[in-house]
Amino acid sequence: MSKSSNAYNAGIMQKTGKAFADEYFAEDNQVVHESHEVVLVLKKSDELNTVVEEILQGSHKADNPTLVVEDRAGFWWLKATGKIEIDCIEVSELLGKHYSVYDLLVDVSSTIGRAYTLGETFTITSELMGLDVKLKDLAAA
Amino acid sequence: MAISTATKAATDALAANPAPVSVGAQEVHRWMQSFTWDFDKNRTKYSTKYKMANDTKEQFKLIAKEYARMESVKDERQFGSLQDVLTRVDAANRVHPKWNESMKVISNFLEVGEYNAIAATGMLWDSATAPEQKNGYLGQVLDEIRHTNQCAYINYYFAKQGQDAAGHNDARRTRAIGPLWKGMKRVFSDGFISGDAVECSINLQLVGEACFTNPLIVAVTEWASANGDEMTPTVFLSIETDELRHMANGYQTVVSIANDEAASKYLNTDLNNAFWTQQKYFTPVLGMMFEYGSHFKVEPWVKTWNRWVYEDWGGIWIGRLGKYGVESPRSLRDAKKDAYWAHHDLFLIAYALWPTGFFRLSLPTQEEAEWYEANYPGWYDMYGKVYDEWRARGCEDPSSGFLPIQWFIENNHPIYIDRVSQVPFCPSYCKGESTLRVLEFNGKKHSFSDQWGERMWLSEPERYECQNIFEQYEGRELSEVIAEGFGVRSDGKTLISQPHTNKDGKLWTLDDIKRINCVFSDPLKAL
Repeated sequence: MSKSSNAYNAGIMQKTGKAFADEYFAEDNQVVHESHEVVLVLKKSDELNTVVEEILQGSHKADNPTLVVEDRAGFWWLKATGKIEIDCIEVSELLGKHYSVYDLLVDVSSTIGRAYTLGETFTITSELMGLDVKLKDLAAA
Repeated sequence: MAISTATKAATDALAANPAPVSVGAQEVHRWMQSFTWDFDKNRTKYSTKYKMANDTKEQFKLIAKEYARMESVKDERQFGSLQDVLTRVDAANRVHPKWNESMKVISNFLEVGEYNAIAATGMLWDSATAPEQKNGYLGQVLDEIRHTNQCAYINYYFAKQGQDAAGHNDARRTRAIGPLWKGMKRVFSDGFISGDAVECSINLQLVGEACFTNPLIVAVTEWASANGDEMTPTVFLSIETDELRHMANGYQTVVSIANDEAASKYLNTDLNNAFWTQQKYFTPVLGMMFEYGSHFKVEPWVKTWNRWVYEDWGGIWIGRLGKYGVESPRSLRDAKKDAYWAHHDLFLIAYALWPTGFFRLSLPTQEEAEWYEANYPGWYDMYGKVYDEWRARGCEDPSSGFLPIQWFIENNHPIYIDRVSQVPFCPSYCKGESTLRVLEFNGKKHSFSDQWGERMWLSEPERYECQNIFEQYEGRELSEVIAEGFGVRSDGKTLISQPHTNKDGKLWTLDDIKRINCVFSDPLKAL
């Protein structure tokens, strides 16, 4: 099991029985706490298995050391601090075929954070798009 | 040659807004947004107390052509595998029988939610003014139609290929007698489509979709896979590929009202009400489906809830909005207690009311009882002992003449229905956040299980006038009600629902129920 704080079973989730209940019901855990993590759920598919293994965990691993990827049966579960970005031009080069951001969205199953597309890039970020940060149009990118 | 007014208008518009040279989808999207509507004349059928801004963006910048292509690929992948590979390997019969029953509930209930979301997002389209925001809502209308069909299809698949078609094929015929239906309609219908359009968006998109679809549509696929069901991950993960755009729509709804002074007055109350409304049903029902409707357990429901609802939705979605005045829901403490215990409370009642359902339930095995006790210390003393007693009295066997509802009556533990959530509760035998409150209005008594629903009712009592099964069938004998409410299989006498999933076990019939002479009684009349 990963020891990263972003792991699927990190923190309180490692505990069981009474130890879990004690922390779960602790006074400090009765209001939500601001988090800068993002979560991405990717359907398993030929293309996205490649994206996960060759790009996110491969050539770009050093770019985002907080990223954790876990195999959850039918899907990949990813969690990182700040943001996760997938550049579909890069994916196209890797796959050897045209692969647009909308091809990617066929298998992007869920997000927690602020997800958006710009050009051929898909981003999930903890930034408050449209509030703290203006959501860009293509011409302004 | 003269040209028509419409052609001239289009020609003029194109002259003012030259089409892009390239055909990149996002560039086309940007170009299209320069064609806008005259909002001075915008007619809104369903108004909102919020003022929605006119410069909101659509985060995915979708145009119709890309949308259609994307969704057709999704459907080809999904239906292709269901119709070919999974049928060939007889996948539906490899599903654990307990999970097969859970999918009767999950897929039928989700279908109703998707159907109502069609109307909900149409209503939002009507209220919004920003062109891009309207575009996002419009895409969602189409998505919801797709999801309604997907849910229907998975029921069709299970009914055609699976191990027990009854309940997969026509669950909604039992909607009058099944106590879980009315609660589901409260969250999936009323919460999505009745009242203020933005408040409906908070119910549907900000809480329903951004929060509860993750356990309901994503985490459920892990439980499905663990229990041999390879159809549900195929369909549900595909449904969820659209939900992320719906979450973005909900977020943009909040962005659109961020600068509205009224938002600070209403938003936190609306958010708290929406959170309580959605959690009041989903928290116990999903926990019950996952833990009691499976043989192989993935993890305790409370952990799934803690991850997706508390840490991720709470921390990432709501927590980040704190500086804009968005508060942690005031009902969170009670919701957390429910996430730990309410699904155990609900299963106790659901099993007791099994003849009114459209699915089969089974009591926890010894191995499962140990799992519950290890993960929820105190479980056995509260619930396990009762199940042992029910089992010893022959609750699974039609010849025993014992229905678990009799245990509640014998031990003076009346079951009530919460007027607002429509969820049944037993205030004298529960560990979740449920206490009995009774109020009178227009000469009629109303029971409530918590302060949050009571507050909502006090502000709009006319909104919650739906009769519950105790009021509706007061004085009627149970087998008559089941027959009248279509709770039987195609032979006209065997109940759809059963208190076991043993394929060799005896099935209860209307005659078995009639011999017990169980008569509906409204507990509020005794107060």
